[in-house]
Amino acid sequence: MSLFFVLREGFGGLRHSRFSGFVATATVAISLILIGIFLIITVNLGKFVQFLRSRVELEVFLDDSFDEIKIQDLTDEIKRMEGVANLTFISKEMAIREFQNLFKDKQEDYFETLGYNPLPASFRVKLQDNYRTASGAEVVFKSLSSLEDIREEDIVYTREYLVILEKYIKFAIAIDFIVGIIVCLSALLLVSNNIRLIILSKNKIIETMKLVGATNFFIRTPLFIQGIVQGFLGGIISALFLYTLLKLAAIEIPGFISVDWRIYLLLANLGILLGFAGSFAAVRRYL
Amino acid sequence: MLKLHNLKMRYPNGDGLDGVNLEVRNGEFVYLVGPTGAGKTSVLKLIYMEEFPDEGYVLVDEYSSQDIRDKEIPYLRRKLGIIFQDFKLLEDRDVFENVAFVLRVTGARSRDIKKKTLRALGEVGLSHKSRKMPEELSGGEQQRVAIARAIVNEPFILLADEPTGNLDPKTAVEILSLLDKLNARGTAVLMATHNYELVNNTSKRIVSIKNGRTLN
Repeated sequence: MSLFFVLREGFGGLRHSRFSGFVATATVAISLILIGIFLIITVNLGKFVQFLRSRVELEVFLDDSFDEIKIQDLTDEIKRMEGVANLTFISKEMAIREFQNLFKDKQEDYFETLGYNPLPASFRVKLQDNYRTASGAEVVFKSLSSLEDIREEDIVYTREYLVILEKYIKFAIAIDFIVGIIVCLSALLLVSNNIRLIILSKNKIIETMKLVGATNFFIRTPLFIQGIVQGFLGGIISALFLYTLLKLAAIEIPGFISVDWRIYLLLANLGILLGFAGSFAAVRRYL
Repeated sequence: MLKLHNLKMRYPNGDGLDGVNLEVRNGEFVYLVGPTGAGKTSVLKLIYMEEFPDEGYVLVDEYSSQDIRDKEIPYLRRKLGIIFQDFKLLEDRDVFENVAFVLRVTGARSRDIKKKTLRALGEVGLSHKSRKMPEELSGGEQQRVAIARAIVNEPFILLADEPTGNLDPKTAVEILSLLDKLNARGTAVLMATHNYELVNNTSKRIVSIKNGRTLN
C-alpha cells in the first residue's frame, strides 16, 4: 500500500466530506478557543498569585536600645534562617521618611509636634518562594520569635491575608481544574462524534472497501489523517482567533493580560492530538 | 479451488443452512439456483468469509474457514472477484478509481494500476466512461464497472450474487454473456440466482439450493 495513496485518500476524504469536515474543524476550533481562554486565565491567575505571594513579608520591630553590633548580629542570624530569602534593615530615620511620604498630603508634621521620633527601626524579611504560604510564614515567624531580645508582638505579618489568599487559590485551582477537564472532555467528545458521523455516512463505502480486500489499516489511516488535519486546522484557527482577540483587547486595555506565544503552539498541537484521539476513539468503536 | 463441505449455520430467526455441499473446480461455471430466502447469499458470504459456519468448513484456495485469522480475510478476498445485485460501487470516486481501488489496496505500482484498470474497463466496454461518476451511469453500466472491478485483480473465481437482479432482460443477457466470456478465458464463476428462466437452456452445471440445503 503506497503512502501517497493513503495520504491522497485522507485529503480526498476531506474534499468529499466538505460540510462535515467544516463542522469538525469548527468544533475543534471552538473547543480549542475555550481551552485557550481557559489556559490564558490559568496562566494569568498563576502569575497574579505569584505576585500576591511575592508581597508576603514579615516585619520585625527592633528595640531602640539595640546598637549597631546587636543589629548586625541579628541580621546575620536571620539571614541564615530556614525560609528567609533576604532582609532589609529600615532605620528609624528611613521609617520617618516612609511615613512622611505616605502621608505627605497632610499639612501637620506629627514629629515636629511630638519633638521626637517614635517609630522603631525594623527588619523586613522576604521569604523564599516555597515559604510564601501561611504555614511557611509561620515557620519563619517561629524562628524569629525564638531569637533572644525579639518578642512575638514585635513581629508583624499579614497572617489572615495569607490564610484567605490560600483558601481562594485552592478554590480557584479546583474550579480551574474542573473547568479544564470538562472543556477537554467536551472537545474530545465532539471531535469523536464528528468522526463517528463521517464513519456512519461512509458506512456503505467502508463496507465495500472491506469486501474488495482493503485491510483495516488501509481504511482507518485516511480517517486518522482526516481527523488530524481537521484538528490541526481547528488548532490554527483557534490560535489566530485568540491572537486577534487578545491584540484587540490589548489595544483597548494596555497591559491587560500577558500571553506566552507557546500557548498558540500548544493549541495547534492540541488540535492535532484532539483530532487523532477523536478519530481513534470513533474508529476503534465503529469500525 | 473452492470447496464447501457440509455447511450448517443457524440465523437468529431460526432459519439457516442445513447441509450445503459444493465444489467449484478451476475454470468451471456453476449456477447456484434457488428461491428467495433459500440461503444463496449466505453461501456466498461464507465463501468470502463475511460469516462463518457453525459446522462444516469452507476451503478457498489455501484459506480454510476453520483456521483463518481476521487479518487474513482481506487477502482471501483479493483472490476472489465479487459482484453484487446492488453493484456496491464507491460513490465518492469515478469509474477508473472504483476499478483501480482493488489494485491500490494491494500496493501495486501506479504504472501497473493504470495498465490493468484500463484493460479491465476495455473488457467490459467502458473505457470511454472511465472518468464518469457512478451515478452518471445506467444500471447495466454500473454492473459492468462492478465486473471490471471484480476481474481487475485476476481472481481465480468470480462470485456473482444475483448480478442481473436489478437489470432489464436485455441488459441481463449482456451481463451474462460478459460472464461467459470471462469464464471462457479461464476464470471460474459461481453465480447465485433465483431466476430459473435464466438457467433453463444452459449447458452449465446447476446446483439447486432449497431450505438451506443443496440438492444434487
